[in-house]
Amino acid sequence: MMRGAKGGIGIIELLAITAGSIVVGAAAGAADLEAGRALYDDKCAQCHGLSGEGDGVAADALDPRPRDFTSGSFKIRTTPSGELPTDPDLASIIERGMPYTGMPAWDFLGDEAIANLVAYIQTFNEDFADPEMRVDPVEIPSPPAMTEESVEKGRQVFVENKCGECHGDQGRGDGESAPTLMTDAGIPIRPADMTKRWTFRGGSSRSDIYRTFTTGLDGTPMPSYADSIDEEQRWQLVDYVYSLSEDEPGYGSVVVAQPVEGPLSLDPGDGSFANAPVTRFPMLGQVTDPGRAFAPAVNAVEVRAVYNDEEVALLVSWHDIAGRREGSNRPNGRDAAPADAALSDAVAVQLPSKHGGTKPYMFYGDPANSVDLWFYEAGANEARVYLGRGEENLAPAPAGGDEIRAKGVYEDGRWQVVFVAPRGSGDAQRVPQETFVPIAFSVWSGLARESGNRRAISSWYHLYLAPPDTGEAYKAAGMMGLGALVAELLVVASVRRSQAGGQS
Amino acid sequence: MPDKQNGRGLPVIAQVALVFAGAYLLLRFSVQPPIPSSVLGMYMFFVGVSLMLFVSSDDDRFAEFKRPLIQLLTAREHKVPRLVLGTVFPLLVAYLGYAGAHTEIAPPGQQRTVHPAPPNEIDFKGKRIDVLTAENPFRHLAEEEPEAFREHVARGKDVYYRNCVFCHGDNLEGDGLYAHGLSPIPANLADPGTIAQLQESYLFWRIAKGGPGLPVEGTPWDSAMPAWEKFLDEDEIWEVILFLYDFTDQHPRSWEE
Repeated sequence: MMRGAKGGIGIIELLAITAGSIVVGAAAGAADLEAGRALYDDKCAQCHGLSGEGDGVAADALDPRPRDFTSGSFKIRTTPSGELPTDPDLASIIERGMPYTGMPAWDFLGDEAIANLVAYIQTFNEDFADPEMRVDPVEIPSPPAMTEESVEKGRQVFVENKCGECHGDQGRGDGESAPTLMTDAGIPIRPADMTKRWTFRGGSSRSDIYRTFTTGLDGTPMPSYADSIDEEQRWQLVDYVYSLSEDEPGYGSVVVAQPVEGPLSLDPGDGSFANAPVTRFPMLGQVTDPGRAFAPAVNAVEVRAVYNDEEVALLVSWHDIAGRREGSNRPNGRDAAPADAALSDAVAVQLPSKHGGTKPYMFYGDPANSVDLWFYEAGANEARVYLGRGEENLAPAPAGGDEIRAKGVYEDGRWQVVFVAPRGSGDAQRVPQETFVPIAFSVWSGLARESGNRRAISSWYHLYLAPPDTGEAYKAAGMMGLGALVAELLVVASVRRSQAGGQS
Repeated sequence: MPDKQNGRGLPVIAQVALVFAGAYLLLRFSVQPPIPSSVLGMYMFFVGVSLMLFVSSDDDRFAEFKRPLIQLLTAREHKVPRLVLGTVFPLLVAYLGYAGAHTEIAPPGQQRTVHPAPPNEIDFKGKRIDVLTAENPFRHLAEEEPEAFREHVARGKDVYYRNCVFCHGDNLEGDGLYAHGLSPIPANLADPGTIAQLQESYLFWRIAKGGPGLPVEGTPWDSAMPAWEKFLDEDEIWEVILFLYDFTDQHPRSWEE
């Protein structure tokens, strides 16, 4: 009886396994192309185009542009340079997306739908159908331990292989040749900023970076180093690049200014800034007003601040692949700058003109609530003050107002601009202590032909002048700790007394 | 039932600790949405008081409960744990004092109405549009001329991916390329609580007038939503509205319902 039952289950199991493998085999062998096409036309064609040429309606506004699937050239692959990607390569990029590009993560579509898309995308280039054109992926071994030694050796690999010629000596993407780099399609391309690992298109894990060094980014100036740098050294290079960046951008919402004694310095290297906490804000394309910037050159600013009784100093820094001091720039205007005009880099800090009123509109204020714009132009290496009552109504502030001092330094791919401004007093007080003052930023890259409304912007954030640290927290800790100790001793003493009393 | 006085079962102090910890874990992790920490503190206070009442209601049980504590505080062989506890406890309290006085610097939250009441009418490039009653001029084609309707939806789709996708995202979920830097975050148009609750004329107002057209309760100063009348004509706005409902498989709210 027991034997018979067991035998019966065995046969059913066998049948089930056989049937299951037929179904699975059929699915793997022939994904549903029609379903893939329908999904592609619905969700992908708006960027990649109905015929897969990367020319959908949104394509012109995107940088990097959407992939042209007919080219057969793909940046992120586990196959050697110049080869077609594997099916899992394509599925992986659809699932994960590409950070800081127009390609979002489509993981919610599910494996089956993604498999259908992978199959359909391959119909755009006939090479995919030729088994001889399909090659095996390279092996991505599991990463060896990252050590101080491997990082230091990686730095030497970086120097020996002249990675800095494109990526810059500090890895900020500001190499000598950076402004001249083009894709195979003749479109300008910026080298990766290695200090912002979270923007790496192919992912930011050590294995991802190793894959990029090993297989290159096809169609871009980034080659494969599989033949020129051995595996051990490639891992060392991975570790060095990995060490240049934090894990996450850690975007903040408040610049906390520290009080300092004495006059404020215009030198970004001044020691007072080193003690002030740094806050990073995301920068976005200005797409709200005409003259839109869909893909600005700068994706973040970092801000520190210090203050004394009369003034506040802001150190605003950001990365650009080239520092442009030639020419001039302007904060407003919808039209693109004339093609022959030299455009310098620029940055602006925006605050409400009046403290404590209604918050002005984030794009240069509104008719009822104006903003002050401190506009630093690298060409002049000084700041001008504008009064804004809206995007179309921004004009130099009337004479006799606040004098804003500013100086900027560009070095190794990083601008550092210091603004020193009066805090105002009485009714004109603009930056009081212990108050959340709205603050916003704009950045223009001369190289990227940004000027006027064509710029990177931030939302409104806050500037907060922290009071001097009087050690309140430490006092509280000391008092409470001492209190706990005294209470403890009293309990022990009373218990012991009562025990002694009870025993006697 | 185990008889503790005969030495069987868990010691009373361990039972008390278990019940206390169990109550904390239950309240902290199994209730959704989570209980605010101040309320949780109150609950735990009452749990503690109840446990003490229970323990002290019986003299034997109370003695049993106190014994390990008294031993810890007096017995010679427990000198090491006593010193460790005696040091750790004041340090812990000191840390709590520090954490309490050292507050995180965060701006005050701000009240914001997500779907504020619209004005009765708006001026769209010189044309009066009634925000309460205006109808999408292409909506009736859905049944009358389905092919023409699909064309308008397709044109709306182009408008969306040329203009809106950067903030509202490829899948209309408010998670576009620039969403991480915006506050308020872009509206999630696929959420059933957004456009399905609104009339098409309301959407027309929000799209045409954007952030600057919001009333005060909608915090117009923080909104990056453009006033699309600067970029789009009337038909394009009605068409993109068709697309928003079509793509998310939703239907506008109407007076008939």
